[in-house]
Amino acid sequence: MKNVLEVTGLTKIYPAEKKGGTPFTAVNDISFALEEGKILGLLGPNGAGKSTTISMLLGNLSATEGSISYFGQDFYTNKSEVLNHVTFASTYIKMPWRLTVMENLRIYAYLYGVSENTFKTRARKFLSFFGVWNQRDKTMNNLSAGQITRIMLAKAFIPHPKVVLLDEPTASLDPDIAHQVRDFVRMQQAEYNTSILYTSHNMDEVADLCERVLFLKEGTIVANDTPETLARSLNTARMTLRIEDGLKRVQRFCKEQALEVVVTHRDAHIQIDEQKVADFLMLLASEGITYSQISIDAPTLEDYFLSLSEIKK
Amino acid sequence: MKLHRIKALCYRHLYPLRRDFDLLSDMIYWPLIDTLLWGVTGQWLSSASEDPGSAQLLIVSILLGLIFWNVIWRSQAEVSRNLMDEIWNNNLINLFSTPLRVDEWVTSVLLLSVIKTAITMILLVPAIFFLYTVNVFELGWWIPVFFLSTTMTGWWLGFISAGIVLRYGPKAQTVIWTLPGILLPFSAIYFPLSQLPAVIQPISRMIPTTYIFESMRALIQGGEVDPLYLTVSFALNIAFLSFAFWFFVKSFRYSTKLGLGRFN
Repeated sequence: MKNVLEVTGLTKIYPAEKKGGTPFTAVNDISFALEEGKILGLLGPNGAGKSTTISMLLGNLSATEGSISYFGQDFYTNKSEVLNHVTFASTYIKMPWRLTVMENLRIYAYLYGVSENTFKTRARKFLSFFGVWNQRDKTMNNLSAGQITRIMLAKAFIPHPKVVLLDEPTASLDPDIAHQVRDFVRMQQAEYNTSILYTSHNMDEVADLCERVLFLKEGTIVANDTPETLARSLNTARMTLRIEDGLKRVQRFCKEQALEVVVTHRDAHIQIDEQKVADFLMLLASEGITYSQISIDAPTLEDYFLSLSEIKK
Repeated sequence: MKLHRIKALCYRHLYPLRRDFDLLSDMIYWPLIDTLLWGVTGQWLSSASEDPGSAQLLIVSILLGLIFWNVIWRSQAEVSRNLMDEIWNNNLINLFSTPLRVDEWVTSVLLLSVIKTAITMILLVPAIFFLYTVNVFELGWWIPVFFLSTTMTGWWLGFISAGIVLRYGPKAQTVIWTLPGILLPFSAIYFPLSQLPAVIQPISRMIPTTYIFESMRALIQGGEVDPLYLTVSFALNIAFLSFAFWFFVKSFRYSTKLGLGRFN
């Protein structure tokens, strides 16, 4: 499998805002690759360097050090040529509000050299898929945030790019529309072998869509693996027991065994090593502690994200 | 440079003309109001004159000055306001995440400035003729020469103000409206250079438009255009325009060091 994007030693240091101030390192020596036809998740808490990385990958922020190469070509020396095959959509970037949907999409299609006929065919296809075809003659200021997000996605895919950078494309969407967007992304990937770099705060979505995930923290990559491998690396299951009798004893056992426990009403939520679940349940039984309900959740990507972000659920 | 990208950017700034009164008022409404105001003022001033010939010259001089000032203003506004429009619309990142190159952006705004200035002139020139019987075409073949020189002045003013905004951020946007204003009193637009205080005249001589307005006045008074004046005017315009392009590109590069995201 060949790489369509290779990033090596990418670093961004912002100069100090005031004389004598300290320069700020937003991204520190990161290296990764995006394989052809794959979806790579870019995750990290706020301020981790995701947006800075995407800005550098699009050329609207220059890197302090390192190199970016698309399709084997150096990005900085072939920027315009490379960007013919790379598009971008973000929930947080808008399009001119006095222009209609079709006017905006036409302008962006022309920027990528798409002909008028091809543009019309693709615009109709994508806008119809997203259920916004009947909004095509409305100006952008008359659309909802969710509709704008879908139009931004249409903008990104109309040129049939080889690489798409998607910055939280489902952030402002209702669950059903978010589902539609995920289907669309998968469809584009399958149909055109499009490679996608995907940022999102929805971990289930990332686990569902992405073949690999990069975790950024304080500007550096702290993990780069498949969502399953990262989640399994935690080894910690979340067990919830509805205790009928012996809630205080459960808390005491957990304390003795250095297990994290949170009690809500009659429910005990326990973080426990997956290997020790059976022993723990046997111990409860031997002590005569009874429970009416039990659920054991395997660690998820979200657990992994939270563990890295040092935030507890 | 790709033509399809220049065409896309022209559409980007021509589409809003269909429905945006702000843009239409800048292109049509205010130039016509200025024409009315200055024409009537000129007529009133000339009515006090005992010499009808020199009174008519005064009106012609003011109105032609107004026309070419509008050329400067529109050319400048098109360059700098197109940049501001992308910033106000949160569209700068979108645009420069495409294959669009800075030279293509520059070419498209220059083209747009010519198109929009021409639209203003198409309305202004007949309006001046019908209201005050002043025929701009009496300037003959000098019209394209004056038009080119004043357009170039507008361009370099536009690129300097756009460069300042790129360098210092949107907080510096007032420069777009104030920078041409600085030129206004020094350019001898409505009055001869000799009327300016002696200490100011050396500054005026460094501004290319001074030579154009002086030449225009010489022409309407039956005199001839001094070739040296035109040479100096174009030489100064070329020098200022080269500096303005250099400054704009340097400011754009500086801006990508901090990230175009700071304009969102």
